[in-house]
Amino acid sequence: MPSIKLSRRHLLKRAAVAIALPPLDAMFNAQGTLYAADLKRGQAVARPETRFVLWFNGNGITERYWMPAGTGRDFELTPCLAPLAPYRNDIHVITGLDNPAARLPGPGNDHHRSMSALMTGTSFSGHGAGGVSIDQLIAAKIGGDSRFRSLQVGVSQESFGESIQRNMSWAGRDRALPPEMIPHKLFDRIFGKRDEGWINRKRSILDAVLEDSAALQSSLGHKDQVRLDEHLSSIRDLERAITTLPPEYSRVQEPEEGGDMKDWPRIAKLQSDLVAHALITNQTRVASYMLTKCQGLSRFPWLGYTAARHHDYTHADGKAPGFDGPDGQRTMRDICRWHIEEFAYFVAKLKSTPEGDGTLLDHCCLLFVHEHAEANSHKNNGLAAIVAGHAGDLAMGTHSKMTGTVGDLYLTLANDAMGAGLDHFPTAGKKLSGITGA
Amino acid sequence: MKATGLLALLCAAAAVCATDAPTMRRLTHSQYNHSVHDLLGDETNPANQFPPEDFVNGFKNQFSSQSISPLLAEAYGAAAERLAHNAFRGGDTHGLIPCRPHTAADAECRARFIREFGLKAFRRPLSQPEVERYATLFADEAGRTRTRKFLDGAEIVVEAMLQSPNFLFRAERGGPGRQYEIASRLAYFLWDSMPDAELFEDAAQGKLGTPAEIDKQTRRMLADSRAHQSVDEFAAEWLRFDRLLSSVKDRRQYPQFSAELAQSMTEETRRLIDDAVWNDRDFTTIFTSDYAFISSELASLYGLPAPAAEFTRVAFPADSDRAGIIGEATFLALTSKPGETSPTARGVFVREQFLCQRVPDPPPGTNNNLPPVTEDKPVTNRERMSAHATQQPCAGCHQLMDPIGFGLEKFDAVGARRDQLKLMFHKRHDDDDAKPTTILLPLDAHGSILGIADSNFSNPRELGNLLARRPECQECIVRKLFRYGWGRHETGADRSVIQGAFERFRQSQFRFKELMISLVSAYALN
Repeated sequence: MPSIKLSRRHLLKRAAVAIALPPLDAMFNAQGTLYAADLKRGQAVARPETRFVLWFNGNGITERYWMPAGTGRDFELTPCLAPLAPYRNDIHVITGLDNPAARLPGPGNDHHRSMSALMTGTSFSGHGAGGVSIDQLIAAKIGGDSRFRSLQVGVSQESFGESIQRNMSWAGRDRALPPEMIPHKLFDRIFGKRDEGWINRKRSILDAVLEDSAALQSSLGHKDQVRLDEHLSSIRDLERAITTLPPEYSRVQEPEEGGDMKDWPRIAKLQSDLVAHALITNQTRVASYMLTKCQGLSRFPWLGYTAARHHDYTHADGKAPGFDGPDGQRTMRDICRWHIEEFAYFVAKLKSTPEGDGTLLDHCCLLFVHEHAEANSHKNNGLAAIVAGHAGDLAMGTHSKMTGTVGDLYLTLANDAMGAGLDHFPTAGKKLSGITGA
Repeated sequence: MKATGLLALLCAAAAVCATDAPTMRRLTHSQYNHSVHDLLGDETNPANQFPPEDFVNGFKNQFSSQSISPLLAEAYGAAAERLAHNAFRGGDTHGLIPCRPHTAADAECRARFIREFGLKAFRRPLSQPEVERYATLFADEAGRTRTRKFLDGAEIVVEAMLQSPNFLFRAERGGPGRQYEIASRLAYFLWDSMPDAELFEDAAQGKLGTPAEIDKQTRRMLADSRAHQSVDEFAAEWLRFDRLLSSVKDRRQYPQFSAELAQSMTEETRRLIDDAVWNDRDFTTIFTSDYAFISSELASLYGLPAPAAEFTRVAFPADSDRAGIIGEATFLALTSKPGETSPTARGVFVREQFLCQRVPDPPPGTNNNLPPVTEDKPVTNRERMSAHATQQPCAGCHQLMDPIGFGLEKFDAVGARRDQLKLMFHKRHDDDDAKPTTILLPLDAHGSILGIADSNFSNPRELGNLLARRPECQECIVRKLFRYGWGRHETGADRSVIQGAFERFRQSQFRFKELMISLVSAYALN
């Protein structure tokens, strides 16, 4: 039997079903400014909600070309950070933070341990991260009213890696939340058209599945109940997402299926656009964005570096012939600058999206992290991070060297910028000053 | 905390608590594909599009790695929708409806369909509340408008059942359903798929409790072509075909390497295993075979005459260094880096996959950068890795690994034979046309396995013959199949099962089928 691909979207287009929700575009005023509206009640609200986006690329940085020498408002942008020049008042470069959980004894290599520690503050389990990642802790507090409690988005589709390398968001110990890496699939999840008949049908199916699950659960031992619970919560999330009509929002274009799926600069921009659209239409308040994998093995044809792969370049020990010494450092510089370019594109996208009396960026808190500082030595203290956006009066336009842990930064951002009311995060012991308030 | 402590105390006193061990196994992606094929005649392998699975204890079917993320739940939903739709496209072409419905609301035929399809989908008879639940779902859908048909109701039932935990998981609760659970154990172990009509029939008649009947079924099932898919899946996971299929090689050094060649390599290995298993050879010949099943591409990589037909048996010349799996490009390439071999990775693979020994990860904070190889200081891996042997904390573990790999150094990163190490130095990294400087170094391929006496070797053939004779290696095959079958790592409590199976394996002159029969009957009746 040949494989036949059926696209519901295409079927529905032909069916020309009328959708009953007021189109979101109607909420734009004459200047194109969107007043965020409570979709359920249709009332305009005074202040748009804050959003949190955790951004990641793998392998770390090259400090020499990334770390600014000076601190304060007059710091000089380094070659890697140069793409952020137009947005220097929208970013806060933070260096010096420690990732102490990466040094806890345990299984795995340095990348495994650093990644688990970076995202969850706990040590690598041997299979995956040891706990809940910061984006999920925040989502649990503020994501409950959104269609998607959180979104996980990725870009580089290299097949390399196990769970800990492929995922940055974790619902719990060993419970990875894989990113959606294909733009047209991400579009379909968020903006794919559904008619009410389809939604009702799905709802009845999932209700039957939930009843099946409940019946099964009552007959299971405790450990199986816990595992079935995970399944149930996934089904409930799914039900909430697909039984809500997507916004009629004509400003987002459906990405083409196909195209060069190894052209990561292209995919990165498509994914950034879709995340921005998901945020402005209040589909979610929390997202994670995995540009490349932990310990990633990307190649960079658009930069002219195809002889070896990212991780090989970080260890100029002969794995990547001709990349030792200064030559290797310059290669790393160009690679790190590409990461920043894609981040800058996302910042630009948010800043060019009007919301309320300002822009979407005014109500966002972005945090950009890597599992290591200097990639070559797998350094897991003195990390380099970038906070961007103006949610909750974040301090911007400066470089600070800080003493503390990434956990301290997470907790400070979660509570002071996002108002998430998180009690604690492993490895967090104090609030960092200078993160919010001018 | 208190409750857990109390539970542990109770468990120590009563065997009853064994029921609290997890019993639910999610269908692996491979089992999902095979099950929907057998259930619905689907040929599209929908699970190939699901988020990838993790290897735990060397396999993808281990209890502890099987959670369902929202993205996977969504993928199950989308696949179920497509599968259910395809199942009834053009009518009931797969014969899923066991009766001829008079109307869309034919309650008798509806109930019969739900019971019969449900039995296959959930691999056990449905309870009355389940039948009613699905009948309601069916009736609502089929009765939604006047134009709805019986098949619309059937389609929604299929779509829902394919998302039910009763389909996606194999839950074992014992009691009256025990016979059906045994049928599933046999089927997923031996076929990597759902039970067939005969197993369901046996389960219904309560026949699956005796060793004789299990043995009879096992032999029947091994004669079925579906048994090949289970052995193939076991071999592909055990030997980590995925690593080769996702690997890349430096195209300046290995221009012949491509995704298609990688595919051919795994096909060669698959055929070697298949030949040993299904032609009832001594299974340890997978380490010693002086022949291989190669394509013409592989023949040219190995420097052999092309086979009469693609992937047919070709004998190695008498003086060949190659033999068995260790001499095949699959192993040699998947344990190499893009541009060079890795004696360490080859050693780890031999220890972990063939001797069932666990080599610890490097301690945190270790600087594992080796000195670079430069044009001024060209060195072989043996010289370059000498720091591993002399410096702590490296030496403790590296002496377990590197010397194994050193013995295979005459085979390069794509599995071709070489007498010398060819180092290439490119003037400019971004200019492929500039002629690189090439330096040739002699290779010393003396290797040994620490902990095994008289284990000196200097090529894959010698290592293969060494391994094939070692009881640790023979028993390791038993342990790997145990982990694959049980879905978990063995514990002390499993000792007698493993010993028993190993004994039978040995007595049968290492017939893999006998090993399967022995393990599957222990599993089914356990």
